[in-house]
Amino acid sequence: MTPKKYFLIKAITNVISGLSMSTLIILGIAYMSFDNAFVFQDVKIEIVNNPIKKHDDINFIMIGSKKHECASTQVYGIAYSEDGHMHRLDKFTKQYTRNTRPGEPIPNQWSMAVPDDMIAGGEYRVSMTGDFICNYLIFQKEKSQTYDNILLIVEPQH
Amino acid sequence: MDLERNQKIAKQVERWDLYARVTPTAFLVSAALLLIFDIVSQETVMYIGLVGFSFTAVVWWWWAIFTIKYLVTTLNRASKGISEVTQEVKSVTADLQDLKNDT
Repeated sequence: MTPKKYFLIKAITNVISGLSMSTLIILGIAYMSFDNAFVFQDVKIEIVNNPIKKHDDINFIMIGSKKHECASTQVYGIAYSEDGHMHRLDKFTKQYTRNTRPGEPIPNQWSMAVPDDMIAGGEYRVSMTGDFICNYLIFQKEKSQTYDNILLIVEPQH
Repeated sequence: MDLERNQKIAKQVERWDLYARVTPTAFLVSAALLLIFDIVSQETVMYIGLVGFSFTAVVWWWWAIFTIKYLVTTLNRASKGISEVTQEVKSVTADLQDLKNDT
């Protein structure tokens, strides 16, 4: 191999290796930033029709912005009564808007039926949990986010 | 002994040079292939990369420390030797001058 060819190969491999290293560092930082980000930012969830009367549904309203493109795969709530009992809320009577666009605060609302085991009524603290699949650049990750302590007051349903 | 060790260090530098040139591209290409064929998850690739990066950084750091220490010792020894030779040359020059003056 001539010295000229040797130096040319060395220079090319240096450039390729430098570009690969830069790509690895940029993708690594992007992945860590994506991995650590919450699905929703500046999020607020409330029940707007407390106390829930007989035959009424529980109406939720939410506002928040998403940093990345995330589609929900499952959304459910757990209502904790004062005596420690748990009631699962997963019967949607009005659906929420799925796959809202990222980058700006978007209001969303949904309604859920009062579970049969909540017939006695009372005061509850609801935790709403959403499972999502999020995409960013070439990355995809399953994420989950919970919003706790939403006040729910249910009047006796019988 | 020093010459042998110097050659050893030169070889190690060559190896580091090759490693720095080949590893990033090799890792990038192999990671891309593993992800495309769905053999490993993105998280696994991320952890393998982090471990490899950390391992390289630690090994290189200690290698650099020991090599610099050796080079500084060698440089000091060489500098001391040169200083002694300079003194001797000065002394010989003075003796020669004295001899010249006497004759």
